[in-house]
Amino acid sequence: MPQNSTSTSPPAVAVVGSAIHAPRHARQRSLEEAIFAVGQSALLDAGLVIDDIDGIVVGANDQLDGRAISIMMASGSVGGVGRDILSTPSAAEHAFVLGALRVSTGQFRTQLVVAWSPLEVSSITEALRLGTDPYFHRALPLDELSAHGLQATAVEHAVPGIRAAALGIVAKNRAQGAIAYPDRAAAPREQEWIESGRPLRWPLTDTMVTAPGYGLVALVLADAAFVAERRLGPPAWIQGVGWATEAGFLGDRKLATVPALAEAARQAYRQAGVSDPVSSFDLAEVSDATPYQELLAYEGLGLCAREEWRKAQQDGRFAVGGALPVNPSGGALSFNPVYCTGLMRIAEAANQVRGRAGHHQAKNVRRVLAHAASGFAMQYNTVVVMGRERTEVRS
Amino acid sequence: MKATRVGIVGIGQSEFKPRRDDANYPELVREAVTLALQDAKRDLADMEAVVYSLAPDALLGIGNAERLGVDAVGARNKRFMRINTGGSTGLSSVAVGHAHVAAGACDLVLVAGGDKVGESGDSQTILNKIWDPTYERQLPLGTITMLAMSAVRAMHKYGMTEEDMARVTVKNRAHAALNPKAHLRKKVTIEDVFASRYIAWPIKLLDACPQSSGGCAMVLASERYIKENKLEAVWITGVAHCSESYFIGDRMGNNYVADHADAHALRESFERTYRMAGIKDPAKEVHVAELYAPFSNTEFHAIEAAGLAGMGKSMAMLREGAFHIGARTAVNPSGGTLCTNAIAVSAMARVAEGALQVWGRAGGHQQPGARVAACSGNGGDHQFFGTAVVEA
Amino acid sequence: MELLTRKESWNIGYEHALGETASWFYVQIRDKAKIYGRRDPKSGRVLVPPRSFSDQTLEPTKEWVEVGPDGRIETFTIVYEQFKTLPPPPYAFGFVLLDGADTAIGGFFRGVDLSNPAKAAAKLKVGTRVKTRFADERKGDVLDFWFELESVEQATVGWE
Repeated sequence: MPQNSTSTSPPAVAVVGSAIHAPRHARQRSLEEAIFAVGQSALLDAGLVIDDIDGIVVGANDQLDGRAISIMMASGSVGGVGRDILSTPSAAEHAFVLGALRVSTGQFRTQLVVAWSPLEVSSITEALRLGTDPYFHRALPLDELSAHGLQATAVEHAVPGIRAAALGIVAKNRAQGAIAYPDRAAAPREQEWIESGRPLRWPLTDTMVTAPGYGLVALVLADAAFVAERRLGPPAWIQGVGWATEAGFLGDRKLATVPALAEAARQAYRQAGVSDPVSSFDLAEVSDATPYQELLAYEGLGLCAREEWRKAQQDGRFAVGGALPVNPSGGALSFNPVYCTGLMRIAEAANQVRGRAGHHQAKNVRRVLAHAASGFAMQYNTVVVMGRERTEVRS
Repeated sequence: MKATRVGIVGIGQSEFKPRRDDANYPELVREAVTLALQDAKRDLADMEAVVYSLAPDALLGIGNAERLGVDAVGARNKRFMRINTGGSTGLSSVAVGHAHVAAGACDLVLVAGGDKVGESGDSQTILNKIWDPTYERQLPLGTITMLAMSAVRAMHKYGMTEEDMARVTVKNRAHAALNPKAHLRKKVTIEDVFASRYIAWPIKLLDACPQSSGGCAMVLASERYIKENKLEAVWITGVAHCSESYFIGDRMGNNYVADHADAHALRESFERTYRMAGIKDPAKEVHVAELYAPFSNTEFHAIEAAGLAGMGKSMAMLREGAFHIGARTAVNPSGGTLCTNAIAVSAMARVAEGALQVWGRAGGHQQPGARVAACSGNGGDHQFFGTAVVEA
Repeated sequence: MELLTRKESWNIGYEHALGETASWFYVQIRDKAKIYGRRDPKSGRVLVPPRSFSDQTLEPTKEWVEVGPDGRIETFTIVYEQFKTLPPPPYAFGFVLLDGADTAIGGFFRGVDLSNPAKAAAKLKVGTRVKTRFADERKGDVLDFWFELESVEQATVGWE
């Protein structure tokens, strides 16, 4: 029956397959071949073939890819020929949101969602700097990293002395990354070495962020009837999705706050029936392009207000073994495929519910929280609640 | 599962021009948004989500330019995403807006975008970069050469002539003369088309679309919202997409699925759309078709893909006066993409124009009695096709 | 009123991995002046240029198949307009179905008098047989070869 926007009914869509690739010998395959591989891996994980897929959504950045319309040659790789394929270049995680919406309309039973972030451009800095407007700001060295730096400064100003907690988050995620993905985890991991990095974009040092890596991610979504019919399992049911954007000009924002994140969380929690986030999840995967982003995520997701940040980092509540592990995959601080880090958080969280998280699989995972941020200083925010249960439709 | 019915409650289009030096890019988008909101009698605050229509960034010279458009569309702290399927972006954006409502996620969605194609200086050079660097980018492929090659195959396969092509331009310019929003509004004759210089044989200057600047926006709403607020609306009853192989050379040779002379995936997309809308005989049931055709020759295979003529038969029908305003099915009564092409929103304008027609609001270029409109968008190297049906 | 503008250009370069399949294809062109396609097992089509998987069937391709050196024109166009960074007009290019291939590959047509469009178009019409010519010095890219008409043609204009 038709649902209206004030209802809290979830869309009855599940993640039934995923794949995360970090190619080591990049020259052996073209980008399109690597995209083909990750899509095929996700289908394999789901126990499906391309003919089971009703539609595809991809997320890619033209400037990173070096293609004026990145979906063009990539579409063949992901089964786009003869099928319904769309592209959301704004963010890789928007491809996930759109995929979920499309299944919820009832017009599609399944969706394949694919995103990638290559390293073929001569300068990622320059490529991302093109995101700055030519009207007022292009002459400045304003790329994404600089924007993250500006945000970090704002956060340090708002919460004096928080730097130590930020460095602790780097250590937490790097240590976890070494367990989750020994083949690709970034260094340094030692707290002392993290603390003695060179400034890169003050106050960010080269140890507090991670150099770009080459990565691709794909997910398969399906509706409840399809899951039942094909006996797919175990699925990660999408219980709530929220997404929102900040303003485009950094100067229009108070960078130490992220109201769009709070709004995205509000939408997702309402749909999922979550009233107390702190106690509702077994773990969370949040965007951590810098540790300051993870702190802002704690607050925006209702997990920990800034007055408690220092205490939280010290008491280890967000470390593996604590009350609510955050980034058991190691996050972007461990592996940073720039453009698709956000979608990767969603894939990692879904894998936990599905029991496919490999070395970093947590036990008894019933419900998880994923947060993806993209753009300059967390401009786009997407929040996804997933769980083992397909929650009841509410009116 | 029956999805929520989705209506169009507001439409806004700029007057498309060669350059808009008076407005920067976000301002251009804002202009269209304001018109759409006024038309819908809603405020920005009422919008629950925004779908942003933007094709290659390179044409604007700003990477992820949608970020700068956030305020133009009032999207701070709101649901927002950007769509890019090349030339079909505008229609894909409407389809995505439709999905937001049909999925039950929102009641009111704003779909908006703008383009300043003229400001990039040389769109073909940029569009050359849509071809892959592995095999084809070193060739002088651009949208014009690529579609010129489609014309050559249509000439070979169906006997299409340059005169047939010119006839499309004559028809569409005559229509555009009645449409105050169109860019190229001067009527031309077949002789004028033949006198214009060749760009890429057989496409001549007057067979080709202009580079236009302007914006377009639409407000979509759920049936429930429309009823509760007693709004006027027209309805999106069908929407779909389908794509072809990126490799043009695969659309010829032996045992091909699609021929580059035709628009195979567009036909597929229309078939899916018509099925959704319950249309069984489009030639009889569709009163207006706003079909994306930036070059005169491409209107023919679009007409055929839309089921309005048999394969290879549309040229003869046009010769006999079909497809004009007043004929059984008017094709591109707005003048179409041939007369106005602000790439990021051209395919949205097809839906906007189709909607205006079935709404009875198309003014001087109204197709009398129109109640069912078919709309299409093309993107990539004639690769991505989106289609929609709008009804009163 | 004073309306200002700002000039910008994008100065970023790329190094694209062609992958093993495309690399092997170009190495054969560069070192042996031979063109190869790859067969898609499901449809049977020999894809030229080659790809490691078919986008129609999503199956990996198997088997290299030498194609050409002769073929037929599947489509063409003749460009009369100058576009920035693209060659100076007039020039003809299009797609050729090499003997043994099932899909067509793009390339320039040389040795045809392009001064009269209608006459040139008649010479290049779909179905016309062509020969592949290779450059003496080859780099391993699509510009290492081009196509000339099979019929004896006294070129009066065009490239050598």
